[in-house]
Amino acid sequence: MRLALCWFFLFLVGCSGVYGHEEYFNENLKISSLQDGRVSTTFSFETILKGVPPRDPRLLNAPDSSQHYIVFPLALGQILREYAVTELHLTLNAGSWNYERWGYPEESGVGTGAELWAWMGAGAPMSIDDRWQGLRNALAGLFCASLGTLDEQRTTSPTHSYFPHGILPSWNGSSAHELRHGSMPSEHVCTENLTPFLKLLPCKSLSGIASLLNPHRIFDADWHGLGIHVLWSGESGIKVRLSFQGVMDPLRPSISQKRDWSLESLFGRSIERSCPAANSSNIYVTLPSEAYNISPEPSKIVGQLASYDILGDKSFNVAMKWPRSFQYSPSYETSVPISVVRTLRGATQASGKLSLVISNHRSTPQSLVYLETMPWLVQFQLHTLHARVDGRIRDDVISNISYMAPVPHSRPATFQAELRLAPRSVTHLTMDVDKAFLRYTEHPPDAQRGWDLPPAVLIPILSDTEDNHTRSSNRQRLGQPIYTSTLLVDVATPDFSMPYNVIIFTCSLIAFIFGSVFNLLTRKFVVIGPDQPPEK
Amino acid sequence: MPPSTSGLNAAALALVATRIVAALFSPENVLKRDQLLSTPLSSYTQLREGIFLFKHNIDPYSGGTFRHSPLLLALFSTILPNSRTFASLLWTAFDLLGAWALVSIWRARQNVSHTSRDILVAASYLLNPYVFLPTLALSSSSFQSSLTLLSVKYAAEGNASLALFLLAILLHIDLSTFILLPPVLLLLITGPRSHLASPHALAANLLRIIPHFSRYLLYTGILAIVSTSITGGTRWISQTWGATLTLPDLTPNTGLWWYFFTEMFDHFRPFFLMVFTLHLSIYAIPMCIKFQYDPLYATFLLLGVLGTFKAYPTLSDPGLFLSALALFPEVYPYLRHQMVTALLHLHAALLMPLFNYLWLSTGTGNANFFYASTLVFACANGAALIDAIWAGLRIAIGEEKEGYMVVQE
Repeated sequence: MRLALCWFFLFLVGCSGVYGHEEYFNENLKISSLQDGRVSTTFSFETILKGVPPRDPRLLNAPDSSQHYIVFPLALGQILREYAVTELHLTLNAGSWNYERWGYPEESGVGTGAELWAWMGAGAPMSIDDRWQGLRNALAGLFCASLGTLDEQRTTSPTHSYFPHGILPSWNGSSAHELRHGSMPSEHVCTENLTPFLKLLPCKSLSGIASLLNPHRIFDADWHGLGIHVLWSGESGIKVRLSFQGVMDPLRPSISQKRDWSLESLFGRSIERSCPAANSSNIYVTLPSEAYNISPEPSKIVGQLASYDILGDKSFNVAMKWPRSFQYSPSYETSVPISVVRTLRGATQASGKLSLVISNHRSTPQSLVYLETMPWLVQFQLHTLHARVDGRIRDDVISNISYMAPVPHSRPATFQAELRLAPRSVTHLTMDVDKAFLRYTEHPPDAQRGWDLPPAVLIPILSDTEDNHTRSSNRQRLGQPIYTSTLLVDVATPDFSMPYNVIIFTCSLIAFIFGSVFNLLTRKFVVIGPDQPPEK
Repeated sequence: MPPSTSGLNAAALALVATRIVAALFSPENVLKRDQLLSTPLSSYTQLREGIFLFKHNIDPYSGGTFRHSPLLLALFSTILPNSRTFASLLWTAFDLLGAWALVSIWRARQNVSHTSRDILVAASYLLNPYVFLPTLALSSSSFQSSLTLLSVKYAAEGNASLALFLLAILLHIDLSTFILLPPVLLLLITGPRSHLASPHALAANLLRIIPHFSRYLLYTGILAIVSTSITGGTRWISQTWGATLTLPDLTPNTGLWWYFFTEMFDHFRPFFLMVFTLHLSIYAIPMCIKFQYDPLYATFLLLGVLGTFKAYPTLSDPGLFLSALALFPEVYPYLRHQMVTALLHLHAALLMPLFNYLWLSTGTGNANFFYASTLVFACANGAALIDAIWAGLRIAIGEEKEGYMVVQE
């Protein structure tokens, strides 16, 4: 069996020589303990297709070169080439990330629900919006997620807040790329999304780190999410990173209130054998500052990070033990500069008030980029947007407003602004919103539940170099995004059983008035005498 | 014995003072969101939002919910200060202007310089709750009413250019007012005098309306060019006039359209939008033909049609119709069912705000409650309209003699 596998891989290596692409597959798992006793686990599976540029969109009509991959996921590769997508980020998350307790996540895209954004080159025979639609539908099919509903009512292009993570190629000097972004907060990640996700990996979930992705355990986590990131990094080619993050709670099943964990206890499995297709396979454990006991001994420790190379290992399990039981602390040290609470207030179904409370924890002023992408059914009243610090209205907090108004029944609103927070301050942002009245066919089947609104994104600005507004400098200017929690808006509903009745009532009334008016206008008045019979 | 001039002046002053006091102490914040008093096309908050976007170099017509005319945008972005008191006073001033116009129409119809009934006519406008509540809510439908009255006033006084110019502005504020054009043109070539009791064929040469009509087109065109240059594009057309025709905003109001098109099947929507728009315009010419001897009465009846059937009505549209009834005391004896109409109005006026509140705020009622009360309101407006037509035609027969009957042929 092993000999056959070796021959097979030799054959594959030969093939890669023939087709001239070098492909690498690296997998790693990072486990770190969080302040509140939970354990953060981040799986990352990276495939590199070296020396291959993204497809030139201008040649979309020409036949594409044949695609022979060894470890690169073919199903995803076909979609990327079909729609000439340069960069793609898809995340499917459940739960809202607690920045105050957990700090920044390893993978920054933690917005609740589905979030998809892509950079696509212009100049193709198919318009970017058509390709975006095709991409959504293809990904919806690939990942069994309702991404097809990220239609034009949810698509925005927030170019002040989202920047490419890789390099955007320029074809014949033109590097015009456009951003399309959509989020679907009501989407939930579950097993039907994980199965196709695992199918994109060269070893599926049979061996290597991916064998730990046991749906029974990972979907039981307090927070979990998966992500697919495709980018082009110039010389080193196209990178596809599939990631899975989970925040697990070892205290929950523990009787002795200890945070002890092992791969076996977290995932219900240990690694039986390594993935033969992987070029590297590492498990990293962040070591705590207090007393601990880790087994087996790490092969390498760099700073606080212990690493295990599991390539070639037969079976592997790692366990961390604490001598003392865990004490909940009343407050947490936060590594995130700000924290934000976003709510929608107001009791009526016709209007409300959007409120953000942003605290700056640092003793230095903090600038942020604030992004709201709002479906048209909640309409901002920008003239009522006020920032209050200590109860006083401050005009200097909000600047650089860029606003794309919504179009009823089609386009969402995109609101981007820069906020400047004073040191150690709490800023209250409020804005009146109008809730739209929808046609009865536009309501979802569970209309009384309300509509999920996408999270807002706040991105700290690291350095204030405002003189240079190029795309790459802007990317470096911005820190890691902070997603707020999603909102649920209660929209007025009509009576869904009434369409015929309403049409009949209204039409009858109009017909009655119309008839009476024209009866009077078209017939003459006559006087009839006492002995005159009325004329027939 | 007619009351003394000083007494009348005192009464007029009292009226004006009442309105100013009401404007200064009105709870705008409660009223400005009231769906009966302002629609998305006339709401003060939307106007403020549009001005905010306009001043921040964001095209308010690039999308969204701003549906006011660029003329109002230009006017208010220059003169509208942030002071609420000033805005309330401005709106009340427009109402006073409207009342003055109504009194002027009355005088023109009676062909006298002033009458003892002037104060009653003014009061019918200034104290009509349907008229002054939208004013207190700072709804731009109050402007519309005042402009309508001013336009009719100048038409009645024979000042063609001013009448047609105001009518062209009115068209820019609300597309449905185009149905007022035929009676106003007739009014210009005949006169405001009452001929209800003596019907006769149109004496004036109909061809004389052509120069007036072309002047109206010219003014409309000029205002369209002005609007385009204010906004730097033609997107205002689809946002303002287009909204009246395609009803993109289904916010509840007192009219018949919103729930009908909320509940409409998607594939029938364009057809019924066409039917409703045509239905609104179908009244204009027949009314003008029937009342060719008294175009002012035709104008009045078409105000009733607008108040009942237009796309985004507020209370001030039927309010204008009811106030204008004060101009025609000669038809009062021939009204058939004033009591029924009044009770229907009372019923609707009490239930509409209540059911709107129950549906949207407390959540204890549903949309059908409010819809039903708007149906009653439409019945009330329809009843008033039909009664007014009946009375306007019946007056020509005169008093009924013993043993004789008046029937329709």
